Amino acid sequence: MLPEEHHASLPVPIFPRQTLVSLLVFAAGWEALAHLAPLLGIPPFAVPGFITIAKRLVAVTPFDVIVTLARVVGALIVSFVLGVLLAIAMYRSDALEQYLRPMIRILMAVPVVSWILFAVLWFPGVEFRIGFVLVAVCGPVFLIDALDAMRGVPRELRQMMRSFRPTPRQFFLKLMLPAIVPSLFTSWKVNISLAIRVVTIAELVGAVTGIGHQLSVAQELFSVADVFAWTMVLVVLLFLLEALVARVESRMLRWRG
Amino acid sequence: MSGPPPIAVRGLRKVFRQANSGQSVIAIDRLDLTIAPREVVSIVGQTGCGKSTFFDIMIGLDAPTEGSIRFGDKSPYADFDHFRGRIATVFQQDRLLPWRSALDNAKLPLELIGLPDAEQHERALAWLRRLGLGQFTSAFPHELSGGMRQRVAIARAFAMEPDILLADEAFGHLDEVTAVELRDTFLKLARERGSTAVLITHQLEEAIAVGDRVIVFGKPARVLADIRVAQWPAAQHGILREAIQATLQSNRPDPRLG
Ligand SMILES: Nc1ncnc2c1ncn2[C@@H]1O[C@H](COP(=O)(O)OP(=O)(O)O)[C@@H](O)[C@H]1O
Ligand SMILES: [Mg+2]
Repeated sequence: MLPEEHHASLPVPIFPRQTLVSLLVFAAGWEALAHLAPLLGIPPFAVPGFITIAKRLVAVTPFDVIVTLARVVGALIVSFVLGVLLAIAMYRSDALEQYLRPMIRILMAVPVVSWILFAVLWFPGVEFRIGFVLVAVCGPVFLIDALDAMRGVPRELRQMMRSFRPTPRQFFLKLMLPAIVPSLFTSWKVNISLAIRVVTIAELVGAVTGIGHQLSVAQELFSVADVFAWTMVLVVLLFLLEALVARVESRMLRWRG
Repeated sequence: MSGPPPIAVRGLRKVFRQANSGQSVIAIDRLDLTIAPREVVSIVGQTGCGKSTFFDIMIGLDAPTEGSIRFGDKSPYADFDHFRGRIATVFQQDRLLPWRSALDNAKLPLELIGLPDAEQHERALAWLRRLGLGQFTSAFPHELSGGMRQRVAIARAFAMEPDILLADEAFGHLDEVTAVELRDTFLKLARERGSTAVLITHQLEEAIAVGDRVIVFGKPARVLADIRVAQWPAAQHGILREAIQATLQSNRPDPRLG
């Protein structure tokens, strides 16, 4: 979707030299700035050194990380199931597709902040609000991707399959679903980075747990070190999830060679 | 165990309405044709004459605009499910499922008819071996050459042990040597098995090589000539070839074909 997502989905396990160099240069620059801050008239809390950040990193509470992770994974699974089921229904019924597609396009244009405000105004439960926002943002991505992928299954393969006279169920299980697996992996990768970024904003509002909540606490305390530490945790979490998906993908898509 | 049904085509017409221009295209025009059980027939016609349209109607994926096609007392379109496991197809491209190994591709139709797992495996394996692919059962399509992929497609068709085998330009995309070899294998297996086989091609040489009977299609599809190759002595095959060529070019039956 967005160009940045393609960068984020590059495999991470082995750091190429250029990556290491750019990270080190950034770190060195930051550290230098941290030491020079008083001379430049920057308040010391604004650019904390790595020692300070490391201390805050050690203080990261695993509970909040797990809560955020659980919210992301749970909401993605719900979005995936709903999105694919609805895509199948829309694939099978042209009428349903014609009615729903414009609605879905509209839903996809709604800003995340609006979803959060709606959620807060409509629903009392914090978990439900967060889940609602994530599913509203990620569900349509799964749906549209799955639907387009089903439409893109080559006519030649459908004709071959139909010539062997499958039941409608067999046609789906043996042709359509396996055919869209590659595109489903792409949707997962897009949605993981989307969900990680959205969940923190959703957690800013009303949640008393999770990384988003910790970020808002850090903001109230004017603790740049804490914001830095939690952000690092988020980025690492995102990379780990992406690496996990990439791994499953390369195992399941061996047939692509 | 009643064996393959006879195929009867009567007054078959297929008219397409083009989506953009709204114009009608006649793809098949009053086609009459009878194919006896176990006959091996080739159909030859120019590109665009309606062969693939006829193929789609034979496999039951499309309905005629007018006229009828019957396999025995059933219609491949209206009685679609009756023919599950009885009609096997081979297409111009191999049309294998890229995510399945050669073995799993050959198994596909057997899964659809719900054969027990062990039997699916055994049959698919046996047919892959007969087609010389014993070493490649676990290879994915992208790891095989074009000829090998088409062998898998042929194994897939025969593993069904079908009554009727239908092939649309099945060898046209392969190099000459591979095409001849595969076609001969295909015909040998079809005759051994006693299936009715219809091979559609735009290549004259291929049509004649198939043997028993050559049906020449005009444009739009209708029978211009129906030739029993055995009635032509080998010495006159040159004349036969010329006469079919002339028929295809003029879109009219050549007098030499009688
Ligand atoms: N689905 C379709 N809609 C409209 N016209 C079609 C369709 N399928 C085939 N035709 C037309 O019917 C004619 C015969 O096509 P086809 O059966 O593919 O020929 P062949 O297989 O002999 O090359 C062509 O003019 C083609 O454009
Ligand atoms: Mg064709």
